[in-house]
Amino acid sequence: MKPSRVATLPLRMIWHALFWTFERATWQYDLMVIAILAFIWLTPPAWLGDPMASGPGLIGIIAGLLR
Amino acid sequence: MTFTGAIGRACLFPLRAIIALCVALRVHPNALTLTGVVINGAAGWALAMGRFGLAGWIMLVANIFDFIDGKVADELNLSSRFGGFWDSVMDRFSDLFILTGLIYLYATLERPDYVLIAALTLTFSVMTSYTRARAESIIPLCKVGFMERPERIVLFMIGAFTNRMAAVLWVILVLSVLTVLDRIYFTWRELRSDRRELPA
Repeated sequence: MKPSRVATLPLRMIWHALFWTFERATWQYDLMVIAILAFIWLTPPAWLGDPMASGPGLIGIIAGLLR
Repeated sequence: MTFTGAIGRACLFPLRAIIALCVALRVHPNALTLTGVVINGAAGWALAMGRFGLAGWIMLVANIFDFIDGKVADELNLSSRFGGFWDSVMDRFSDLFILTGLIYLYATLERPDYVLIAALTLTFSVMTSYTRARAESIIPLCKVGFMERPERIVLFMIGAFTNRMAAVLWVILVLSVLTVLDRIYFTWRELRSDRRELPA
């Protein structure tokens, strides 16, 4: 890969995540799904002010253990 | 093989039996679509009552009907332009029932912040479909953006089953806004390139 392409890789990744043109069942789609599920299941509900959820979530548990 | 592809194939396996049953009974696909919407109405009620687990199961059943109607239509040679139109319209009702249930829930919990988030999610969910439908009346295809209806359905079920609906709403809202913007930009770009190709 050319150095100029390596340098712009983060920007191109952000652009492709924002301007989404990938099909389902591609590795890019898998990555997006993993990121979404991580956000949903790891974020402590209290951070989002979730009126219904209970429990601290995985990040909350880890943060509690580190305290 | 991707893991989302593997999950899709695994889910298709039990659905084949249901499709075969509907084909054997010659159930009309439009009736399946309508049944799905009515059941999604029940899911909206369960969400409004704060019964997320029940809502998750109801949505699962409703979306089986939603998924199989097109396949049954193909198998029975009943695919029609009206069927496509009926399916799209009923899908919008399903989205509206689910999100109206959540708006009611957050209103009863006196959480105007989440009433607003759910209302914006509803707005952009409808606009996601509208932008594509309108774009495809002037360009051949406008299939860009991540957050389409299957993604929304799966996320709502994940939110209901794991009681993480607030996070799900944020995800759907942000990605629906991006999807609408993607479709506007894509349509503008396609039309601009068409204009350039026209002779002076």
